[in-house]
Amino acid sequence: MDGTAAGPAQRLVTIVENRPIARDTYVLRLDDPLTASAIRPGQFLMIRPGGENDPLLGRPLALYNVVRDPGGTAVGFEVVYLVIGRGTRALSARRAGERLSIWGPLGNGFGPPPAGGAVVFVAGGIGQTPFLALGGWWLGRESCGGVSYAGAAAHSATLLYGVRTSELAAGIEDFERAGIAVEVATDDGSLGRRGYVTDLLRRRLEGGARPGKVVGCGPPPMLSALARMAREYDLDCDVSLENHMACGYGACFSCVAPIVQQGGGTDLRRVCVEGPVFGAAAVDWSA
Amino acid sequence: MSSGSSAIVAGARSEVIASGSIGKVVRRGTLSRGRLQLDEGRLIRHDEDRRDLEPAAVDDPEACLIDLRVKLGRLELRNPVLAASGTCGYIRELAAFVQLDRLGGVIPKTVTMRPRAGNATPRTVETPAGLLNAIGLDNDGLEHFLEHHLPYLRTVGTAVVVNIAGETIDEFVAMAELVGAAPGADAVELNISCPNVSHGLDLGIDVRSVAEVVTRVRRACPLPLIAKLTPNVTDLVVIARAAADAGADAVSLVNTFRGIAVDWRRCKPILANDFGGLSGPAIKPLALRAVWEVARALPALPVIGIGGIANIDDVLEFLVAGASAIQVGTANFYDPGVCERLVAELPAKLEEIGATSVAEVVGTLRSNR
Repeated sequence: MDGTAAGPAQRLVTIVENRPIARDTYVLRLDDPLTASAIRPGQFLMIRPGGENDPLLGRPLALYNVVRDPGGTAVGFEVVYLVIGRGTRALSARRAGERLSIWGPLGNGFGPPPAGGAVVFVAGGIGQTPFLALGGWWLGRESCGGVSYAGAAAHSATLLYGVRTSELAAGIEDFERAGIAVEVATDDGSLGRRGYVTDLLRRRLEGGARPGKVVGCGPPPMLSALARMAREYDLDCDVSLENHMACGYGACFSCVAPIVQQGGGTDLRRVCVEGPVFGAAAVDWSA
Repeated sequence: MSSGSSAIVAGARSEVIASGSIGKVVRRGTLSRGRLQLDEGRLIRHDEDRRDLEPAAVDDPEACLIDLRVKLGRLELRNPVLAASGTCGYIRELAAFVQLDRLGGVIPKTVTMRPRAGNATPRTVETPAGLLNAIGLDNDGLEHFLEHHLPYLRTVGTAVVVNIAGETIDEFVAMAELVGAAPGADAVELNISCPNVSHGLDLGIDVRSVAEVVTRVRRACPLPLIAKLTPNVTDLVVIARAAADAGADAVSLVNTFRGIAVDWRRCKPILANDFGGLSGPAIKPLALRAVWEVARALPALPVIGIGGIANIDDVLEFLVAGASAIQVGTANFYDPGVCERLVAELPAKLEEIGATSVAEVVGTLRSNR
C-alpha cells in the first residue's frame, strides 16, 4: 500500500440495500462515506454478517463499486457476494436499515494501469467483483481513494468471465455500463462459450492480441493456468487472491500463500496485508 | 511503562492515591455526569456543581478515580486488559484500530528461536461461536523479532509481554536470556501450551517439565515471568502449582482446547494439520472454570484469564472468578477495536457495583454450595 491510501478503521454502517442480482448472488450497498472516499480497487472490507457470536468472524469482500451522489461525492460502496456458507447466508438475511460491523479498507489494492494500453480482466466464479471499480478507475472515469488516472488511462478494458452456468452470471450489465466489454464462458454452454475462461484469453492471444495488462481473480486452478499463460506470452499479469481469512488485517496468519521471495525460495505470506494483489509470477503455483 | 506507586489500592472507597499511575482510561469528551472524579486527592461526584470540569481535564490520567491498576507478581499494569498472543500479530496490525497506550499490555505473536514457516492451509476454521486454529507458530525467529519488532514495541506506550516458545527447555532458557537482555520487554510469557507444535504442549502437560522450565528461565531472565498453560490436562491446579512454586509471577489460563473439524463428505479433517486449538466464546465457560479452580486452590498466584472474552461482562466474570487481569484473544479477529473499548467501559462497570478498584473485585466469586 503506498502513502496515498488511508488506513483502515472499524465502524458500524447502515445497509442501504441487500438485493439478489443472480442465483445466490447479492449486491450489498452500505452507507459509508469515509470508506467510500478512501478505498481503492482491489482493496477489501471485512464485514461481520452475524449477531453476537454466530457466525463469529467477518467475511472478506472486495470493493465492487463506489456509490456517488449526483455531485460526484463518494457516499457509500457496494460489495457483491455469493452465498456459499453460513456467513454469506447470514449476510443475505440482513435488511436495509440494519447496521453491520465492518473494518477496512484492507489490503494493497491494484497499482496503475498501462497508460494507453488494453487491459483484460480474467474472472472465475465470484472473482469478477473487484473488476468493476478497477475498470472505471483504470479507464480514467473514476477517481478512487483520491487517485485518478484520467491523464494516463488504459485505452480499453475487457472482462473475460467464467461461471458454471448462466444463472450465476452476475453484474454483466454493470460492467457494460462502465465501458468494460464482457465475454462469458460457462461450463455448460448456457451463456457465451462453453469451456474455461482461460480458453477465452488463449483465443485472443493466439489471435495476436497483446494486452498491456492482464489481471485475474478466481479459483486457484484458474489462476494457476492464467499465470502459466502469462509466462508463455510474456504478459504483465497480476492476480487477486481470495484466501480464507479470519481477521483480514494481519493478526491471525490464516490467509497465507506461498510467495516467491527476493533472493530465492518461497515463504508463506499474509494475503490480507501483502496482497490480495500479487504479480502472477510472485506466487509459487507449484506449492 | 510507568509504575509510580507500587501500592495497589484495594478496597479504598474514601480516598485514592494521586500518584499519576492511576489507570488512564477516560477519553477526552467522554465524561458522563455521575462519573467519579478526583479533586485534590478526595473523591467527589461529578455533578451539576462541577460544570467547570472541562472535557480536556478528563484526559489527565489522574482524573479517573477508579483504580484500574493490577499487579501480577513483579509486573504492574495500568489496567487489566491485554491483547493475547497470536491474536494481534506483532501489534502494528492492531494499532490501526486501537490506541495502544490505553491498554494494560500487549503480547505479540509467539516467537521461536529459529524462523518457522508454520502449517499448511487451511489453518483456521470457524466453528459454532468459536474458531479452530492450527497456525503452527509461523514466525521469523527471535533474531528478527529483536531487530524488527521489539524496537517498534518499545514505542507503543504500554506493557510489552514477549511470548516465547522453545523446542527444548534449554532453548526456552536461551531465548528468555536474550529477551531479558534486549531493552523493550516488560515481561516474558512462556508458551508451554501451544497445541499445534508438539514440544510446547508436551512441556506444559508434565509437572516436572513445567517446574524445570520456569525455574531455569527465572534464573536466566530478570523480567517478570508468566506461564501460559494448556487446559488439555487432567488437573490444571497441579500444573499451575508447579509453575507458582518454581517462581512464575503469574499464569495465563487458558490456551486453546484441542479439537478437530470434519469434512464428512471428503472423510478428512478440515485443517491441514488435522488438529487445532479451539478459542472464542464457545470456550468461555471452560476457561472460567479453569480460572476459578486455580484461583481458589492457589490464592497467592496471580491468574490472567483468557478464553472467549469479547465484552465487558466477560471481563468482569473473569475478574470475579479470580483473574487479576485478562487477555482478549479471538475477539480481536472479529472486533478489532474491542480491547480499547473494554478499557473504556471498565470503570463504569466497576462503579455499578460500588467498586473503586479492579483489585477489590478479583476473586470475589462465592460458591452456591
